[in-house]
Amino acid sequence: MPMRSLKSRLMYGMIGGMAVLLIGFDLIVYHAISRTLFSQFDSSLESVARIMSASVEQDNNNINFEFDVKMMPEFAGGTRAAYYEFWKDDGTPIAKSPSLGSNDLVWFKPENHPHTSKSFVMKDGRSVRAVAVNFLPRTEKNNSNAVDTPQSIILMVARDAGNLLEHLQFLKYLLSFASAGIISLACAVAAIVVRRGLAPLSAVAAQIDNISEDNLKSRIAGEHLPAELAPIQRQLNNLLTRLEASFERERAFNADVAHELRTPLAGIRSIIDVTLTRDRDAAEYRSALSESLSIINNMEEMVAKLLMLARIESGQMTFSWGQIRPAELVDRCWHPFSDKAAAAEIIFDNRLDGNLVWKSDATALSMIFSNLLDNAVEYTNHGGRIWATAGKIDTGIEIIFENTGNQLTKQQLESVFDCYWQGDASRSRTGVHFGLGLPLVKRIVELLGGKIRVETPNGLFSIHIYLPPVKSGS
Amino acid sequence: MRILLIEDYPPLQKSLAKGLREANFAVDVSSDGQEGLWYVMSNDYDVIILDLMLPKLDGLSVLKQLRAKNKDNHVLILTAKDTVDDRIKGLDLGADDYLVKPFAFGELLARLRALTRRRYEQKHPCLKIHDLYIDIASRRVWRGDEEVVLTSREYMLLEYLAMRAGQVVSRTDIWEHVYEFNSEASSNVVDVYIGYLRKKIEKEANPPLLRTVRGQGYILGA
Repeated sequence: MPMRSLKSRLMYGMIGGMAVLLIGFDLIVYHAISRTLFSQFDSSLESVARIMSASVEQDNNNINFEFDVKMMPEFAGGTRAAYYEFWKDDGTPIAKSPSLGSNDLVWFKPENHPHTSKSFVMKDGRSVRAVAVNFLPRTEKNNSNAVDTPQSIILMVARDAGNLLEHLQFLKYLLSFASAGIISLACAVAAIVVRRGLAPLSAVAAQIDNISEDNLKSRIAGEHLPAELAPIQRQLNNLLTRLEASFERERAFNADVAHELRTPLAGIRSIIDVTLTRDRDAAEYRSALSESLSIINNMEEMVAKLLMLARIESGQMTFSWGQIRPAELVDRCWHPFSDKAAAAEIIFDNRLDGNLVWKSDATALSMIFSNLLDNAVEYTNHGGRIWATAGKIDTGIEIIFENTGNQLTKQQLESVFDCYWQGDASRSRTGVHFGLGLPLVKRIVELLGGKIRVETPNGLFSIHIYLPPVKSGS
Repeated sequence: MRILLIEDYPPLQKSLAKGLREANFAVDVSSDGQEGLWYVMSNDYDVIILDLMLPKLDGLSVLKQLRAKNKDNHVLILTAKDTVDDRIKGLDLGADDYLVKPFAFGELLARLRALTRRRYEQKHPCLKIHDLYIDIASRRVWRGDEEVVLTSREYMLLEYLAMRAGQVVSRTDIWEHVYEFNSEASSNVVDVYIGYLRKKIEKEANPPLLRTVRGQGYILGA
């Protein structure tokens, strides 16, 4: 089921609420007015009834009425006629006003109240309202015919209520039409208010709607936004900034991968194309194949590093813990680079304490050490030095690799752990170094729970790796 | 025709230089932008093959600087950057052609031939001077119905003279467009090769095609 719009929700809510309030108000007003009018009507009837009841006397079995109907012309009949009727307690009629003629009032017995009122329609169609009072007639104590216990008598006094009911009916219609009018007006006002009130939200929604992968640079304008939307606008813009940076990183990463793959592929293709342009001797073919193989080996290394990064990112790398002597591991990792270092007259000094034993994963540490030493040999100046040291810090250890071949500025240090980043923007070592070694090292160190940082003190390149102790149960 | 190859990836640089030389181009090679720009300023290359991501000075900066100094060499950008924006940027900065790595070597040769033809305002892929035919694509030469077999250097010399047929071509021009930077300079090396060429393309019965203009140089087919 599609969700209704905020606009329609607010419209329906406001109009519905207003309608309910108006109807409630109408009912209260109508009830209060009718109650007041009926109360006043009933009071006047009750006064008459009390006066009349005081004029009733009983002796023996006779009920005597000591009032003169002629003195009360309203009971004689006419357009604004009044009525009375006396009943015994059992409902037997005793007397009634001439205005009733052959009609009778509708008998009802007052219950637990000084008087009871009721509206009804008489047989001739007249709407009347009556008040019934229950009383004991007077007895003459000095009269020998007086009774000890007078019988209870019910007096009902009524008056034509047509006019009152008509007024109330008019009031009912008036309130209904007024409410309908107010609700109609409220609809129009609500539509304007809601539209204006939601205009900033609609503007924000339109701006958000226009944002796509291709224009992540656009931001949601916040100059005229209400205070309630400002945090949303701020957070959305922050999110867009992060998203744009993320897309930019992905684009840059893809471009870097493309570059790092295209260039060696171009090399292989060029070697093969040129070789095939004419017949050559076996040595030339062998040379072409050897050069192609060398490029392929480098590409294979890059793909392996990419796969390793992907495995780490997806949490597929697992560790096998064991007691390791870092000094021995550094020596083993240095071995493959020793010839290249010797050719460049680079001296390596492993200063790690041979007795230091640390619980870690040998494969992971080997990858870290090999990548760092590979980089060090590549970038250290001819005749320079590389050295490794280690020391305990709190409960962990810090292993430091340093060399004399720093080529980076302080600003460049912030990027050394970015994939495919190379100090030389031209990627002059394309096909040999890919800018994946340090990112790979950082991911592995972090997986081991450690931290890595780079410093360039006094022109040295210094990389610090802190490894905490392996937690039990890891 | 003389080409400058500015490319820093050694395997590609080496194979391209070899292939281009075998295709009868004189090739100078540079591995970074600064050196490449120096080569451009020092010599008159027919075509410059320019990588974009170069050490010291990137390819686009090289292009900007050489255009700023009114060098009108034809430039072919050879790069791994393959987006439309990259191509537009390169061409708008004054490059004449754009080829994305990896590429077919044959296509590179064809584009280089097209650029050299454009430089010398030649539209036809075959050059014809009287009854001398030069097929630039196959690098074969005929005089009348008879094919003339030339060495690489002789062909390069003939192609350059043919591109400028009817014009007096100085020894310096020939040196700049037929010989590489590292060629051993010799006072009469051009004259020697002109002599070799004459022997192969001239026929006794016909009027000479290649003449010497005393004190100025040589003219083909005037």
